Parts: sequence; C-alpha cells; structure tokens
Amino acid sequence: MGAFLYGVFLQWKLDIRSKTLLITCYIVPLLFFAIMGGIFTSVMPEARYTLIQSMTVFGVTMGALIGLPPSLVEIYGSDIQKVYKANGVPSYLGLALTNISAYIHLFIMSTILYIAAPIVFHAELPENPGVYFIGLAVLIAVSLSVASIIGLAVKDQAKTSMFSIIVFLPSIMLSGIMFPTELLPKAFETIGKIFPAFWGYKLVTESVFRPESFLPLLLIFTAAAVICGILLRKADK
Amino acid sequence: MNDAIKINNLKKSYGTHVVLKGLSFCIQQGEIFALLGVNGAGKTTTLECIEGLRKYDSGSITVNGTMGIQLQSASLPGHMKSLEAVKLFAKWNKTAVDKAMLDALGIDEFAKKQYHQLSTGQKRRLHLALALTRNPDILFLDEPTAGLDVEGRLSLHQQIRQLKADGKTIVLASHDMAEVENLCDRLAILSEGEIAFIGTVGQLNETIGKRYNITIQTEDRTEKYESDNIGNTLLALLGQYKENGETVVDIQIDRGSLEQHFMKIAKGA
Repeated sequence: MGAFLYGVFLQWKLDIRSKTLLITCYIVPLLFFAIMGGIFTSVMPEARYTLIQSMTVFGVTMGALIGLPPSLVEIYGSDIQKVYKANGVPSYLGLALTNISAYIHLFIMSTILYIAAPIVFHAELPENPGVYFIGLAVLIAVSLSVASIIGLAVKDQAKTSMFSIIVFLPSIMLSGIMFPTELLPKAFETIGKIFPAFWGYKLVTESVFRPESFLPLLLIFTAAAVICGILLRKADK
Repeated sequence: MNDAIKINNLKKSYGTHVVLKGLSFCIQQGEIFALLGVNGAGKTTTLECIEGLRKYDSGSITVNGTMGIQLQSASLPGHMKSLEAVKLFAKWNKTAVDKAMLDALGIDEFAKKQYHQLSTGQKRRLHLALALTRNPDILFLDEPTAGLDVEGRLSLHQQIRQLKADGKTIVLASHDMAEVENLCDRLAILSEGEIAFIGTVGQLNETIGKRYNITIQTEDRTEKYESDNIGNTLLALLGQYKENGETVVDIQIDRGSLEQHFMKIAKGA
C-alpha cells in the first residue's frame, strides 16, 4: 500500500511538472470559464443558474479527454511499460496512477470553479450540493475511463490528440451545456447520449439523485473498464 | 558449479518464421555470460523468454534466483527524477534504497535531474540501478554500453566486474567484441536460432584462431594470405617471391580478432 500511495503522490507531482496537464486541467478550463462565463451571463442572464455545472462539465471533459491520453501514451506507447514489467512493477500501475492523479486534479479544478463562479459571475450554487458533488465524482470517473481507452488504444502522441478532439468536440457540443439538447436534430441528440458529458450534465444539474441519469454513466464506465482491461492485457503481451 | 539458468530445447516462432530452433544451454552461477548474434539471430527473443517478458512455444527455462533486468531500449516518464524512479522501484519491490549501490553507480550526481535531462550514460547507469533495486542474483544487461563514450564504457565495465565480484551472475547481450573479450567468462554465439558456439573466449580462439592472416608487401604490391600452418606457408611464399625476383619490404602476421571469428561463426562462414 505504501508503494502504491508513493506512486500516486509521485504521479501527481509529475502531472504538475508536465505542462500538458497543467494546461488542459487548469489553464484552459479556467480561461474558458473566465471568458464564456462572462459571455453566457451577459447574453443569457438565466445562465447563472447552471454556470457552475456547464463550466465544470466542459473542464472535466477537456481535462480528461485531452489531458489524460498523452500521459498514458507516454507509458504504454513506449518502453516505459517494458521497464516497469521487467523490474517487478505491474503493468496496471501506470493506468491506475495516471487516473487517480488526473481525478484529483480535475476535482481541484472543479472546486475552484464552484468557489469562483458565485464570486465572479454571481452564479447560483447547485440546489443540492450533495447530489452535485456525487454527480461530479461520477462524471470525472466516467470521463477518465473513456479517455483511458484513447490513451491505451492509440500508441502515437499526434494521433492521440486527433482522437481526443474527435471525441471531445461532439461531447461538448451535444451535451447540452452550450444549448438545450431538445433544440438539436433527433440524430444529434441520440449521438450525444453515447458521451458521458450528456448524462453528467444531467446528473449535476438535478436537485435529486436520479438513477435514470446515473445508469447510462455506469454502463459507459463498465464498458470502458472492460475495454481498458482488454487493451492492458494486449499491451502486456 | 551450480546452474543459474538452464534452458532446454527452447523453441519460438513468430507466425511461420521460426526464430529459436530448440536452444539448450546453461549459465553458471557467478559467471559473466555473453549472448552474441547478428541481428535477427534470436538473441533478444532468447533473453526476453528467459526474463519472462515473452512467451515461448515449447521447451523449458529454469532460473535459480531473482532477476534484475536492464533493457537495451528503456525509458521512464520524462519528468520523473532519477531518485524518484529508484524510490518507486525500491518501494514496489519492498526493498530499501541501497545508498552504497547508488554511490557506486554515481547516481548522486544526477539524482535530482529529470529523466529527459539525463545524458545517455546517465540513463544507462540509472537503468542499471533500477535493475539492481531488487538485489537480484542474476542480472541481465542488454547492450549495456551502447551509445556510451570511452570513459562511460570503462566505468560501466568496472561496475560489471564489481557486481561479479559481489557474486552476481551476469548475462550480457552485446555487439562489442572487445567488451565480450574483456568481461566475459563464457559466451554463446547464436546463428539462425541455433547455438553455433558456446565456450570461453579462449576456446573460441582455439576453435578458429589457428588460422593466421599474412600480409606481404613488396616494392610494387601488397598481397594477403591465410594459413593454418604459418611456418610452412611463410617459407613457401618467401621462396616464391625470391624466385620472381621481388623484394619483400614488410610482413605482417595476425591471428584475426574475436570479431572476425564471431562473424565467421554467426554467419556460418
């Protein structure tokens, strides 16, 4: 357990040293919040009721999908995994440590948004903070699980960025944070439902915990975990 | 002497390409053993099968002792500091950080440097330190001095000798014949998935080294000859030159380097 905790602590430090994660988990989401928060609340004053949730879903989705895969490719697309395995460090460690570290960073970023939004833009706090934070915890985990598939499946940094953006853009555009999903064509609304951001946004905006929003996320997480397991096994061989 | 590693009829194919055709050999405890072969001979596959990094089709491998592995192509996260890597590996293997070992390898000089800032030599030393964190009985070194300058090479040779003196068995894969000649007790040459030679450097020289290379230079030309019987060949050649009225100005005789012997065996020449 001591070795695992040291690994988590070390990975957290590595992520801070890595400018990629700093940019994708903190700078861009907070900059987006600063700019879009101002625009949203000016154009649509009612946006302040869901500003925390929408900015958080954007930040979490971006941090997970764009931030995590490069760290995984660095480990599993190179000789690092072989060095770990050759010297008694299990293959899953890289995946576990990067996920836990990214989880902590994304939770910190989300907390900054939660505290800053009411001060800067007079945003309304979620009606039920307990439900909000449970929803947030679930959303971060599921977003990271999907990001892990990209990081394990693609072995090249340039291609990883491309795949991350291919998943990230529809996630955000079809999630409901930019405009209500009911206004979208039916096909786009359906496509949006395969991404965690759609269900995550529902979960964090609700005042009571609704299983019908949670279950699709659980399904996505389970499927992603199975796929990651298969990819990890494949990488191990 | 006891066997540290025993390999019996090891076979491995990649699809239809047979890489190892039933290798059998032993590596004794406490020796430095070199595995040589041209590219594609099956050297890395053999090592990786022994190390447990690759599955093999049939045969058996018995390893008596714990293993430490320094891979030829190795890497770590770019932002990880050298000492952090050593601590991570030591903690994961439930061993203490061996300060004496780190001092011997000179890790202190770059303990706080991030991996991407290290020179090739420093990376090699760090990976050797990581391989040693488990205090292994058997140490695998794949091309340990590749990319190192002369100073780095000599320093690493000294460390390898010290590890042998400490009682470790060392299995070395190398293309550097001088390194093998200087360091190793025994060597095996792989050729097309089979053992073409196994024995000491002396035995290798005995096997092929009786052939001499003779270079004779006259005022007009230089000719090269090979011979298994240096005395008779030289007398005959000099007689021939005299008969032709040519004046011999220089004669060079050498037994051929280990590298030449290796190439002959490895390529089946």
